[in-house]
Amino acid sequence: MTDSTRSEQASPPSEANGALVGRAERVALHETMPRRPRSYLGGVALRTLGRTGAAIGGVWLGLVAALAVFAPLIASSFPLVMKSADGTLSSPWLEYLRPMDVALPVLVGLALVLIFGFRCTSVGKKLLVFAVATGVVVGGSYLLVSPPAIATYDTYRVGLEAGDIEWAVHTPIAFSPSDRLRDRPKSQPAPPSWTHPLGTTRNNADLASRMIHACRIALAVGFIATGIAVVIGVAVGGLMGYFSRAVDLLGMRLVEIFEAIPQLYLLLTFVAFFPRNQYTLYFIMVIIGLVSWTGYARFTRAEFLKLRQQDFVVATKALGLPLRSTLFKHMLPNGVAPVLVTASFGIASAILAEAFLSFIGLGLVDEPSWGQLLSQAVGGGGTFVWWIAIFPGLAIFLTVFAYNLIGESLRDAIDPHTQKASQA
Amino acid sequence: MTDTHSERATAAATVSDSAGGGASGTATQPLLRIEHLRVSFPSASPGGRRVQAADGVSMTVFPKQTLAVVGESGSGKSVSALSCLQLIPMPPGRQDEGKILWKEDGAVEPVDLTAFSERDMRRIRGNQIAMIFQEPMTSLNPVYTVGDQIREAILLHRDVTQEQATEIAVQALKDVGIADPYARLKSYPHQASGGMRQRFMIAMALACEPRLLLADEPTTALDVTIQAQILELLRHLQREKDMAVMLITHDLGVVAENADVVAVMFAGRVIEVTDVATLFADPLHPYTRGLLASMPVLGRKQGRLPGVMDGATIPDDLPDGYTVKPHDPMLNPPGGYGGPNAKLHEVRENHWLLCEREGDTPDTPGAVPALAFTRG
Amino acid sequence: MLTYVIRRLLLMVPTMLGITAVVFFVMALSPGGVAGTQLSAEGELDTQQMAALRAYYNARYGLDQPLIHQYGRWLNQISPLGWRQALDDQGLPQYTGFGFKVPDLGNSFSRNRPVLDLYGEALPVTLLLNAITVPIVWVIAVLSGVYAARFRGKWFDVATGTGLLALWSIPVIWAGVLLIGFLANEQWLRLFPTGGLNSTMAGGMAFMPSFAEDGTWQRGWLLDRLWHLVLPVVCLVYGSFAVLSKLMRASVLETISAEYVRTARAKGVPGKRVLWGHAFRNALLPLITVAAGIIPGLLGGSLIVEKIFSIDGMGKLTLDAIFARDRDLVLAGALISGVITLVCILIADLCYAIADPRVSYD
Repeated sequence: MTDSTRSEQASPPSEANGALVGRAERVALHETMPRRPRSYLGGVALRTLGRTGAAIGGVWLGLVAALAVFAPLIASSFPLVMKSADGTLSSPWLEYLRPMDVALPVLVGLALVLIFGFRCTSVGKKLLVFAVATGVVVGGSYLLVSPPAIATYDTYRVGLEAGDIEWAVHTPIAFSPSDRLRDRPKSQPAPPSWTHPLGTTRNNADLASRMIHACRIALAVGFIATGIAVVIGVAVGGLMGYFSRAVDLLGMRLVEIFEAIPQLYLLLTFVAFFPRNQYTLYFIMVIIGLVSWTGYARFTRAEFLKLRQQDFVVATKALGLPLRSTLFKHMLPNGVAPVLVTASFGIASAILAEAFLSFIGLGLVDEPSWGQLLSQAVGGGGTFVWWIAIFPGLAIFLTVFAYNLIGESLRDAIDPHTQKASQA
Repeated sequence: MTDTHSERATAAATVSDSAGGGASGTATQPLLRIEHLRVSFPSASPGGRRVQAADGVSMTVFPKQTLAVVGESGSGKSVSALSCLQLIPMPPGRQDEGKILWKEDGAVEPVDLTAFSERDMRRIRGNQIAMIFQEPMTSLNPVYTVGDQIREAILLHRDVTQEQATEIAVQALKDVGIADPYARLKSYPHQASGGMRQRFMIAMALACEPRLLLADEPTTALDVTIQAQILELLRHLQREKDMAVMLITHDLGVVAENADVVAVMFAGRVIEVTDVATLFADPLHPYTRGLLASMPVLGRKQGRLPGVMDGATIPDDLPDGYTVKPHDPMLNPPGGYGGPNAKLHEVRENHWLLCEREGDTPDTPGAVPALAFTRG
Repeated sequence: MLTYVIRRLLLMVPTMLGITAVVFFVMALSPGGVAGTQLSAEGELDTQQMAALRAYYNARYGLDQPLIHQYGRWLNQISPLGWRQALDDQGLPQYTGFGFKVPDLGNSFSRNRPVLDLYGEALPVTLLLNAITVPIVWVIAVLSGVYAARFRGKWFDVATGTGLLALWSIPVIWAGVLLIGFLANEQWLRLFPTGGLNSTMAGGMAFMPSFAEDGTWQRGWLLDRLWHLVLPVVCLVYGSFAVLSKLMRASVLETISAEYVRTARAKGVPGKRVLWGHAFRNALLPLITVAAGIIPGLLGGSLIVEKIFSIDGMGKLTLDAIFARDRDLVLAGALISGVITLVCILIADLCYAIADPRVSYD
């Protein structure tokens, strides 16, 4: 209440000479005063989360992220704890943990502590701490954690049946993603059942397990590929907008080149001409980033060029301030939100791109990926396995939809036109 | 300027039977009568109270008369005019109460436009009541030729062929003083200057010979010299076509030159209504007084001009029982004069004022000012 | 206008050079090089034959030359003005002189046919797919976008907004797999063919549906073609509404509150005509440019669809060429899709000038 009365006290026109020089629109004056001072980005975040679509999308992505982080704890062929016939207790699960399986939960825990734990520390400091910690944790886990090179998944099932193992506690899904169930007779892919909640794949692996472990790749591809695209795009666009003239002309030709060929052609050419090995995943991320930066470049360039023309920039120039300080001080903070919108659509299309590459067999070789699973749905001779078609496809769809929903809400939240429209 | 005022004040004024709403003779029957119009918009912040853009607006336009509605931005002038044509987007806008009585050609009893359907309204729009807007730059559709846009109005309301419509359009362009009208018909709005475009707008509005023209700040966006030409043109056309004009403006100079009757608006309410000479010579409302006091006078050396609030004096010669409160920024609507009890009352003959009368409640209806005065 | 078009056409040349250069160097720098697959595919050959083959490829395509030289050779080959070459009796190129010549897109390694012939067969197929898709996409996107703006905030707006976003999010590979699996499979419903553009016996069909002499109904070539097109077109269409519809909605929202629309209403123009004649007519302008911008996306989309439904269009040809590392075929693919895109952008810009009287290129 106090706020609204304060806004009402705004002085009536005092400089009416002949014509009534109208004060600011009464409506605007009266109503636009926010209840509490709130930062621009804070407001954007609040309005975004306020939308149901974004909330649902966020919940789904949270679920996928949780599955990605705790994948080994949910689906693994190795018993968490077991007692051998000779009476010794052991945990093959711990033994077979890979470095990433250890590093991820540690880092996510750290991130949560940093975000919610220290409210007063600045974001920059937190980022720095997190970056350093990431290096230490990943490096440390690769040094300290060394699982056996060859995993024999069926040992424990066979041992249990033969009585070599007295009892064993398993993860909820007792199959690792690469466990091809070699101890069982080779059969047709099995439909969903209690042992295999989502059925098995054509390679006899557990579909649910593979899908859960594939969450990591889906999320990582989206984030890293888009991150690369944003960095390249903002850098190139910034250079074009900052230097303009010749640099701009050259830059725009470059953008045009990348936009005139369908992204998929370029992506395929890049990926197909390089061999597949254990680095393919990283290679794919980089390539997706390399072919999808043009949108960010266009946007940043336009924003910089627009800003250059503004009177206050010209004024700072007249004051002798370098253009650079104005552009980077005013442009970058304001440009973050629109870049986030494009980025969240970008993540969605990066996930789609990876799924397609894996689908046509240009993706990962053995690591699980939703697209690669989907490609098994229609097999040779036209046999169609519905559960392999439905579940991985649904996972891709929901994740892409979640990112699109969030992007859409973000766009509505920062778009002054829709804001005005919803209020008018 | 002061000279002309006094001159006009003594000029023979055809004032007749005003307060009652006129039953004596067709000449004095009002053309348009807005009664207690209230229009609101939702608040910009969620959960806030609705903003009352027009808060009980009452005014009357008589045939051939120019009613000037004067007030600052956001005082509700445009909203009142747009309401007459039901051009307020609803939602978000909402008409809370009030009537807009319009006397159609040949009809004895006026009809209430607020009860009209969209379909019925189209018969009125552009045909009986036309409107021109402030921004001639953006008020014409950029992708159609001027001719197309004028002809569209004619073809909608007149049962004529394409060729006849073109002839009418050419005549309309000639009327607004455009040379080479045939060539102009084929041109696009962006090819013309601002003053020219406003002439196109006027030609389009008057092509169907409406009874009333709502002119919403028609000269604000124009150069001073062009302003004078356009106003002169409007005066000329009004006389020629026997048309009434509701002239919305915030320019007191324009008011002095063109108006017969003036309604001053503030914060969604009409605060003072009288003929133009009385208003300039003897304003009653503190706001009007402040406004007039803040006008620079040609030839007089002055220091700093007084602000509106500086000259806002309270009149001390009101009839018993009537009081005008000073400006109160804490009021709702914000920055208004007088509380919910303040209503329009005819405190002197043919002079209405927003004031509080003893014993009134918020539900007491105010008077609907009606003054059939036209300059000789 | 003409000078503008010529200037734009000339500006395309550096862009096309850039496009082909990017693709060329990516291919050339990859391990194994362009002829890698070709050489390894001839695995049965003994070392001597292998060496001879390699020597032939090197002489024929200059594969042992520096990359820039190879690229220059390829450019010379496709340029209408350059050194003419003729194949001698050993099948090796010999330069015969400088001047105007017929541009040559080269020969496909893997199929051993002129690239031009291959694309000549494949391009019409892709164009057919897009020619059916684009109008459907536009009609639905325009209608939904305009009415979403008209009923802003109402259920129609929210429903189309979310629904189209959901459709957009469905991966084409998933939709394709589901459609083939459920609608074109003996295990479930066998309503549609699994792939291709015609049945194998389509060649012998009459063009129009007819009754044969013995009274049996024959669906004919045209219906057979349409029957094969249903699923691919569905796959191409469903995801493309969202972006256009959203843009249309935003654009109409912008114009619907414009002052000239208010002027039109003040004239007494009926609501429908205000919406379509005044608001939509202006809202369409920014979308003309967008229309050309979605061409690369459509070409990319038809690549996926052609792959899934095994349709021998340009996308599938390029995909096969990429898998086979068929240099000339891949380069021609990039060249053709680039030219199509740039020409479409140019056409869109010209259309814009026609549609908006304020824009002129003179």
